[in-house]
Amino acid sequence: MIQEINIALRNLNRQKKRSFLLAGAIAFGIMIVTLINGFSGSFVENVNENFSHLMAGHIFIEGVEKTTTGRNYYFISDDKILIDTIESLDLPLQFITKRSEFSGNLVYNGKTLQQNIVGADWSKENYFSERMMILDGSFDNMSEPQAIILSKEVADRLSLGIGDRMLVRMKTYTGQQNLGEFVLAAIIADPGLIGSMSAYANLDYVNQLLNLQTGEYKIMGLYLSSMKPIDTAADTLYKALEGKVQLFTRDSDDEETNFVEAMMQQGKEEEWEGLRYRLYTLNDILSEVQDLVNVLDTASLVILLVLFVIIMVGITNTFRMVMLERVREIGTIRALGVQKKGVLRLFLFEALFVGLLGFTAGLASAGIIMAVLHQINWGMDTPIFILLKNGHMTFKLLPWQVIMNLLVVTALTLLAAWSPARKAANLEPAHALRVQN
Amino acid sequence: MGIIELQDVQKVYQLGKVEVPAVKGVSFCIEKGDFISIAGPSGSGKTTILNMIGLIDQATSGEVLIDGRPTSKLKDAELTRMRHETLGFIFQSFNLIPVLNVWENIEFPLLLGKTRVSKAEKAGWIDHLIEEVGLTEWRKHKPNELSGGQRQRVAIARALVTKPQIVLADEPTANLDSATGEQIIELMKRINRELETTFIFSTHDAKIVDIADHIIRLRDGLITENVRRGTPVGAACPTGN
Repeated sequence: MIQEINIALRNLNRQKKRSFLLAGAIAFGIMIVTLINGFSGSFVENVNENFSHLMAGHIFIEGVEKTTTGRNYYFISDDKILIDTIESLDLPLQFITKRSEFSGNLVYNGKTLQQNIVGADWSKENYFSERMMILDGSFDNMSEPQAIILSKEVADRLSLGIGDRMLVRMKTYTGQQNLGEFVLAAIIADPGLIGSMSAYANLDYVNQLLNLQTGEYKIMGLYLSSMKPIDTAADTLYKALEGKVQLFTRDSDDEETNFVEAMMQQGKEEEWEGLRYRLYTLNDILSEVQDLVNVLDTASLVILLVLFVIIMVGITNTFRMVMLERVREIGTIRALGVQKKGVLRLFLFEALFVGLLGFTAGLASAGIIMAVLHQINWGMDTPIFILLKNGHMTFKLLPWQVIMNLLVVTALTLLAAWSPARKAANLEPAHALRVQN
Repeated sequence: MGIIELQDVQKVYQLGKVEVPAVKGVSFCIEKGDFISIAGPSGSGKTTILNMIGLIDQATSGEVLIDGRPTSKLKDAELTRMRHETLGFIFQSFNLIPVLNVWENIEFPLLLGKTRVSKAEKAGWIDHLIEEVGLTEWRKHKPNELSGGQRQRVAIARALVTKPQIVLADEPTANLDSATGEQIIELMKRINRELETTFIFSTHDAKIVDIADHIIRLRDGLITENVRRGTPVGAACPTGN
């Protein structure tokens, strides 16, 4: 067996160019699949983390009041019972955020633009400034009560400069028309997906525009120390709040319906008096991201299989050629006493080493590419910022994925070489020795 | 004592629908330790007979006995094992393994069997054979760095490394110039004397045929002459041995 391994290795060395091309094809396939695996591995984490920053929390509580006319008003009026309950629990809590938001039309110099405006308490949410890439103005300008931060795209479309005042046309929380005025405090880089959708203002002024009373707001966010305990913490909090306040149920029987949609449906269909609270998590909102990751993982496996079907054809053809080139050699070693199984093993070892060489090279190249991509700071103004971690691409490769890829490569390589190897093993020694190379 | 016996052996090749008889009922006996030449023109059946003795081809009818053991019913794995344990091969085109050097080519058959010899013993024996065939300075060279004569010397050493009872050489001098060819035959003859290994070589070169103790001449798949040191010998091995 050792001699077969030795000869297989030397045979690979004999046709260096061919071996490297074959291993190179395998390496390319592995590299692509490893990059996809690595990317999708960190995809959920990064998206969740970025969304948790944008939405200011991991667990959210929203108050809903149902009027006699069947309309829903969204606000939290007295959060003491909520905060007392949260503080009584041993949750991995970092801090609590309070936010209100509305969708309105910004009007300036005859131009109008619809914009979602988020009101936050910036004295408590100053961490958020670290995640904004200020292009003009300053975060310090937010001390002005009517200050607003807009993305560059929005500011450009309205031809706004720092210090310019604009009108906002919106509806109060009860649906009445209202007008307000903002002053542009800062312009931030537009990260595309979310950035142009939201502008940031002071909570008090947003509440005032929404006609909410002092101390009222729309959404409470719980910022946890890490992403892992989100669901456990949400369950604990939900159980603790049951009996103290009215709550929307968290179970959705309908698998077709998104969890958040199911809660919305409850709000429409059910009747209640006073405030009823919705408790939901980032995972509930982003459950479809996990679906996307599953799709990515499946796609990478399909890519691996398609690539390897193509590579397998190459391997099979190469080994058929190798067999034809070595017919006399096979006859010789069979005459010297190598069993059929030995010839089979000789070819399969050769294929295995090509596969392993390709796998190692592919993994190494993917590692290098990952390291290089990770070093690049894509900034916060890239459209893909939501997939990045602080502007850097991150990759997370799970051991089982590497092992799975290795097994797939090994199995497919051996399968591809099997037919030529069998033909080689079944050659009649006398016939093989008669062949003129 | 007969080490090889062919009993009415026939070999017919099937070329499409055409049957081509290569050996037409051949019987002879080879004594242990003999130096035998199977001579005849091209197409006379020399290689076919050597292949059947070498168990790399099977007779269409008749029986090939090696060391008294019939071989026609043996399975491929048994034939392969028997080839490794009993026979050594020297080919017309040397057939060395190109990726291995001289030393490794000679070592190769030793790695195939189940019998384990110590590293030192193995190395000593291989070195001895290399010295015997005069290639000490070339032991680390690959086959493509050697001349035809040197390659055939490596093949001789490789054929002897498992200490086989029989060495088969199919036209070992055909790809060599006459002087080198004679040296190779002389070398085989010397080893035959020293190790008492039975050597069977085929040739169509009349000059080297006469070096053999036992000459079997063939024509059109039939034996025309079977003489041992000038005396005709019978087709069957003596019984009772």
